[in-house]
Amino acid sequence: MSHTMSKIQFINEFPAERRFTYDERIALLRARKIAQTEEKARAGGADEDDYGLIVQDVFHYKLKPNHPNGSIYGYAAWCENYCAILQQHPIYVDALDAFAAKGFFFLERLRPSDKKWNPDYAYPDLQAIFDTYQIISGIDNCHHFTPDLQIGFDLGWGGILKKLRSERARHDATHHAFYDAEIAVVENIIAFIRRAGEEIGRLAKEEQNAQLAENLRMMSEIDMRICSEPPKTFREAVQWSCWFSMLSRTYNRGSAGGQLEDLFNPFYERDVQAGILTDDEAVFYLACMFLQDSRYWQLSGLDEHDEDRTCHLSYLALDAADKLNIATNLTIRMHDKIDPVFFRKSVECLFRNKQGWPRYSSDKALMEGFMRCGYPKEIARRRVAAGCHWMCIPGMEYTMNDTVKVNIAMVFQVAWREMMANAEKVPPSAEVLWKLYEKHLKIAVDATGRGIIHHLTYQTKSQPELILNLLQHGLIEKGVNITDGGANYYNICVDAAGLAVAADSFAAVEQRIDREHRLSYAALDAHMNADYRDEDGERVRQLMYHGPRYGGGETLGDAWAVRISKLWTSLVRDLVAQHKDNPKHVNFIPGFFSWSNTILLGSRLAATPNGRRAGEPINHGANPNDGFRADGAVTAMCNSIAAIQPGYGNTAPVQLEVDPQIANDSEGVDKMCAMIRGIINSGNTLLNINIIDAKKIMEADKNPLKYPDLVVRVTGFTAFFAMLSPKFRKLVVDRIRAVNCEAVAGM
Amino acid sequence: MKAFVTDIQRFSLQDGPGIRTAVFLQGCNMHCPWCHNPETIPLRPVELYYKEKCLGCGKCAEGCTSGARVKSSKEMSVDEVMREIRQDKRYYDESGGGVTVSGGEPSLHPGFVMALADACHAEDISIAVETNMSRPWQIIEPMLKKMDLIMCDLKLNLTIPHKKQTGLDNPTIFNSIGRSSKLGIPMIVRPPLVPGVTDSVENLHMIAEYIAKMDNIVRYEVLNFNPLGGAKRDALGMGNAFADAKPFSEAQLAEFRAALADIAGLEIKVG
Repeated sequence: MSHTMSKIQFINEFPAERRFTYDERIALLRARKIAQTEEKARAGGADEDDYGLIVQDVFHYKLKPNHPNGSIYGYAAWCENYCAILQQHPIYVDALDAFAAKGFFFLERLRPSDKKWNPDYAYPDLQAIFDTYQIISGIDNCHHFTPDLQIGFDLGWGGILKKLRSERARHDATHHAFYDAEIAVVENIIAFIRRAGEEIGRLAKEEQNAQLAENLRMMSEIDMRICSEPPKTFREAVQWSCWFSMLSRTYNRGSAGGQLEDLFNPFYERDVQAGILTDDEAVFYLACMFLQDSRYWQLSGLDEHDEDRTCHLSYLALDAADKLNIATNLTIRMHDKIDPVFFRKSVECLFRNKQGWPRYSSDKALMEGFMRCGYPKEIARRRVAAGCHWMCIPGMEYTMNDTVKVNIAMVFQVAWREMMANAEKVPPSAEVLWKLYEKHLKIAVDATGRGIIHHLTYQTKSQPELILNLLQHGLIEKGVNITDGGANYYNICVDAAGLAVAADSFAAVEQRIDREHRLSYAALDAHMNADYRDEDGERVRQLMYHGPRYGGGETLGDAWAVRISKLWTSLVRDLVAQHKDNPKHVNFIPGFFSWSNTILLGSRLAATPNGRRAGEPINHGANPNDGFRADGAVTAMCNSIAAIQPGYGNTAPVQLEVDPQIANDSEGVDKMCAMIRGIINSGNTLLNINIIDAKKIMEADKNPLKYPDLVVRVTGFTAFFAMLSPKFRKLVVDRIRAVNCEAVAGM
Repeated sequence: MKAFVTDIQRFSLQDGPGIRTAVFLQGCNMHCPWCHNPETIPLRPVELYYKEKCLGCGKCAEGCTSGARVKSSKEMSVDEVMREIRQDKRYYDESGGGVTVSGGEPSLHPGFVMALADACHAEDISIAVETNMSRPWQIIEPMLKKMDLIMCDLKLNLTIPHKKQTGLDNPTIFNSIGRSSKLGIPMIVRPPLVPGVTDSVENLHMIAEYIAKMDNIVRYEVLNFNPLGGAKRDALGMGNAFADAKPFSEAQLAEFRAALADIAGLEIKVG
């Protein structure tokens, strides 16, 4: 097999007479994926999800701006550019693969990176507050909610087009910009998939290997049909989902996963009953789907009758991911009735493959939390794991998941500086600091709330969601973009980052200054201003660093973390009342997550009282700081994270690094099953696990291309380790050091 | 009731069944030169000095902040230890785990261990002891009776080498192991693999044959050599006769497994 960056069509690579098993095809496709990953790593890599993007130099699109600043805004410009891309986009084809549908780039990233938001709707007053507290406002961010593929399976592109046209006729001219853009987009999608079908049909005739030629011929036939008609078979449904994913990614990176069994099992059962699908074929198709794109799928959970959703297809999905053995974003929804054999099999996969999948979410914690927002059980149950740390009801919600972050460690810094500036009038103490923290956190959260409303009000003027709009329930009937009232619910995700830095800092000053009188606030402030690099600075830094930390287990740091979490939760929930008159009935849901912003959010932060030096990254998500406990006890850490869950249906994930040796036999797997159940049943919402050979990752850190297939779960997403920048590799390595003190000693 | 506790390790996966919290007590009546917790051997707390962590600040009297100078243990009450233990009850219940009292030699503190056992049982937490079984039977019997599991790290079958390596005879140990079978409490015998000392097939085989006759043995678990005591020995200013010794490879462990496979009626785990 040959690999070049420019190559996007792979035919006539094998002798005419060679026959392939499905496993051989998966292995060959996997090898191609690894080679492409190496190419991507050499091309610079990326600190994010893989997205299944192909790096190529065949096709580059030049943006056609509609604004003097070089960017694009509004329905017409997005529509025009997207349609132009579809008209020119070459077709990636691999004769070994069951599906076409590989994308090359995102239109949203072709814009100038600092010109995403329409300057006619600037927000300078809010921006000043965002800058003060280092708030990532979410304004200008796109997608981060989940479409319902079932709508596409029911209607097909032709049905969607028909509906758009019929609804346009029923609406007045104020809706025509929406309909005209959407209709043009769908017409171009249909034409694009048809062109793909034609092109693949032509390549089928060129392919000399009979088996692969037949595969291409079937691919062509399927594309020619589903370019307009709804999918009828399992293979057609999977192909439809792959196309949607590619089309959505190409527009603005939006993803399209969901509850895998609900979406595909009806097709699977029908085809099996009709005798046109075997399990081997189903596994192959699912493996190809996982290979096509790293989008998020949920498995198991409970159905509307509170019965286990696990079915035979759930097992086949694990088999497919197991055979493929690369980054696959599968989440197992845990509950009391889960099929224990399925659960154990998933844990075996986790440890055998060491690729960071699956991860585990808690049905109970998520259901109870979301229902506290006022939703009935039947709606809450439809909410699935659909992104890094997201929960979303496919086709029902606008969520801004993972786009809004308040750096609560920066809020601490603002409060600290105010306290020290007034130290002569009001003697500093942990309680004085807390009062100031409360004040500043409220300013930050309230501004964040106003920013979200600003985004919802004007996002259509910047970037309408022309693709994800199409798979929303009732949106086409309303004739508006999703941010203009097109969603059924607005459940906005508002995350705090830097919890451990803030909690450990509070705990360190209370313990070392208020209780032990080891030093004064003025002295600590002077050392912090010198970044602990002044005389006696390192001794003081060590004193503060070894304070009672969050994650230690019922420590002062844990108590402060709970106190901060309660404050954070109440302030975010208070936004609901503040904006109750907004016609979109916006709900604000608190969580703790940093995504991969730990470096960014630490970069502007000065030295903190917990012994952290200026510029060092903040803690990851809801996790404690590295070195939280001498034994690195997973249970202590997970109990601490369970205790700070806000409890409204969004997540504050546990990010866990585990050495593969602890589950190298049946007894070890039993212990890991118990560990996962314990973590989930203790009130945690989501568990991401890296199974990392500590020594291997230390070697890979020195020479990433030595292990091009090494996958790590960076935050909520998995990534090829070789694709990450040195800074991000260090983040992963440091976390692994924190819980593998012995294995990496001296490395 | 108090004892000097050198460490409390939560999420311990190597100290018995399930997920456990291991409580290590100060003081041991043996002096095994390979011990990977050498700081637990003295009967009273000692200072460990990690030179590489020392800042050279000259303020040792104010209390070391960097972790260069640390005491081997601190005195804790049963209540204080329980406060740590009960935090992981959920994990014990999920995994069939519990608490393991280790050391040092726990039977040097029988009163504390028994009080801890009572406290665990009051909260429905299983407790095990990891003991060398060398103390007189009248001392250890009441302690063992309060346990849900006994783990014995019997090292050497032959008496003379045992005394030479550990400082104690082993007939008392075999005697106590035999008597303990009448208590009806499950027991795991766990000899450590120490290069050049305990690692003969003959030694492991003889121990296995002895315990195979007992009806309370649930497992014979041969533990791989643990080299992690080296840094602690340096910090204690002790010599390290096993500085160059390494854990046994997977292939070597497989050989031990094969050599012990013919012991009837014994569940064997090596590594």
